[in-house]
Amino acid sequence: MRAARLAEQARGRIERLEGELARLRDELDRARSPRHDGLLVTLARVVQAGVGGLSWQTLARLQAAAYFTWHGDELDEFGYDPVFAEAIRPFFEFLYAVWWRVEASGVDNVPAAGPALVVANHSGVLPYDGAMVKLAIRHNHPGRRECRMLMLDMFALLPVLAPALTKHGEIRAHAENAERVLGRGDLVGVFPEGVKGVGKYFRDRYRLARFGRGGFVRVALRTGAPIVPCAVVGAEEIHPIVARADWIGRPLGFPYFPITPTFPLLGLLGLVPLPTKWSIDFADPVPTDGYGPEAADDPILVNQLAEEVRAAIQKMIDGRLARRRSLWFG
Amino acid sequence: MARIAITGAASFLGARLLRHLARTRGADSVLVLDVAAPPSALHGVRHRLVDLTLPAADRRLVEILQEEGVDTVVHAAFFTDPRRDAEYSHELESIGTLHLMAACAAAGVGHVVQRSFTAVYGARGQNPNFLTEEHAPRPDQGFWWIVDKLEAEQHALSFAQRYPRMTVTILRLAPLLGPGLYTFYTRLFAKRVVPVVLGYDPLVQFLHPDDALAAFDAALTAKVEGVFNVVPRSSISLLTALHLAEKLTVPVPHPLAYSLADLLWGSGLGEAPGGFVDYVRFLFVADAARARRVLGFEARHGSREALMDYLRYRYPHRYARAPRLAKVRA
Repeated sequence: MRAARLAEQARGRIERLEGELARLRDELDRARSPRHDGLLVTLARVVQAGVGGLSWQTLARLQAAAYFTWHGDELDEFGYDPVFAEAIRPFFEFLYAVWWRVEASGVDNVPAAGPALVVANHSGVLPYDGAMVKLAIRHNHPGRRECRMLMLDMFALLPVLAPALTKHGEIRAHAENAERVLGRGDLVGVFPEGVKGVGKYFRDRYRLARFGRGGFVRVALRTGAPIVPCAVVGAEEIHPIVARADWIGRPLGFPYFPITPTFPLLGLLGLVPLPTKWSIDFADPVPTDGYGPEAADDPILVNQLAEEVRAAIQKMIDGRLARRRSLWFG
Repeated sequence: MARIAITGAASFLGARLLRHLARTRGADSVLVLDVAAPPSALHGVRHRLVDLTLPAADRRLVEILQEEGVDTVVHAAFFTDPRRDAEYSHELESIGTLHLMAACAAAGVGHVVQRSFTAVYGARGQNPNFLTEEHAPRPDQGFWWIVDKLEAEQHALSFAQRYPRMTVTILRLAPLLGPGLYTFYTRLFAKRVVPVVLGYDPLVQFLHPDDALAAFDAALTAKVEGVFNVVPRSSISLLTALHLAEKLTVPVPHPLAYSLADLLWGSGLGEAPGGFVDYVRFLFVADAARARRVLGFEARHGSREALMDYLRYRYPHRYARAPRLAKVRA
């Protein structure tokens, strides 16, 4: 009996040690991978080797070291790269605190735990508003919650921008993607106006475009996640679109080509957004768990909820605009 | 005597499967249906010469299947590599599957497990991050490499519908990567310079061959009708993979990439034609939930582990592992 018990104990210990060993071997493997040397060390090695020592291999090592200085090698299932997001975060923090001096209110309306769908108005040509809503929640929410923004198809297909947004934590706008993240109990942010929002003319600012076909409501109904309306004021003026030359944009994969007072007149300088004063407000959540998932197939209810959310956002926007004295100082 | 027959036993996966089946079920219960003889080391395995591309292959197959008393068929006669002889691969994969399925139905075979590819979903910018089996496959209709594979699936499924007594299981395997493999994917990781599409970095899945074997085992045991994705535990970004492998990447703008790939392919330098560019530009990540739920199959390796395992095999000195201790087992 005793022998059997001892054998059992020994086996348990062996298994634990084997697990530990596997972990250590994994760690050692990681330590040996090229990214561990860092860019400077690799660069120094290349310089030391001189021109005669140049080979495909050293160039490839240099490229890998450069890549891994601002990319991690562990991504989440949607391609979010914490190392990359952290590397470019100072840029967004600067925009948030200095450039646009974002003022957030009502962040408590975002639930402390569990899934929720944050729905906001979209504007500003480039998806800066998504990054700002994300930061507003991260900085002001007691739970420091991380919100995954859904990005428009057009951004998800653009070269350079698409992988950067993905690694920053954005997810391609697709109902299945949203349901998957909500199913994990996380926050999802969505801009139902879509392209009609980001590409709207300056004269149409703060007039909400149609909220898609209510897809976001169906996602919320299916997952029972509450909808938190969110109004972004200030973003609509950062790139005032006075005209559109869509025939230039289309072949480049952009559904529109904005002409603003500074772009393309000033070239790349025209891409600098105007330093308006921003405010981001969150309203009381609209609960959806009382209807049941099958309510997603009821178009009347879906449309009614979408309209309710739209009205709540428009109300917040109108309130802010009425109180706003200056475009630049709020 | 109930036998298990296997086609395509000369392919990497087929050979591994053959060995595995011979070991677990006994050599004399395995029958090889192929133009090539199995390795002589596999003593006792029966071999019947069948050319699936011959017009009368189905009649000969019926005879063989009945004579040998086959009740289960593993169909793995597919080319992983794109071939320059597109007509031959069409005859083998699409028409060959038609012959095989007709013969199986006529000979009263109970269960057919067919190997397929997650690439049949097609890599598209509009894909959700996780393709479930409910998604209709929409590959590029001009890319014969994958169209033939999809046709083979459709033939198999239509026979499954017409002959309810025959259970057809289709396993859509993610691209294989691991020790001992020699495919266009592994050759990509054995080159010094690898062209990539400028500004795109999709998540990719690399399936470890051990997991592929485990999936076939699970499918043969469960004997459930339907299509199942067989994918690794986690995915990896393409650039991360290439930089971990210390490859020098050369970005090519996407409007040029397709014709450049075709040019390289046509001149014999490239590994795959232009149709393949989509697969390094857009997502085709498949979801593992159904195989887990129905087959009870769960991959043990992630994409990164499959890649590192391959790199250790390909470059033993550069990626040497810590020495493995002898197993301490009573």
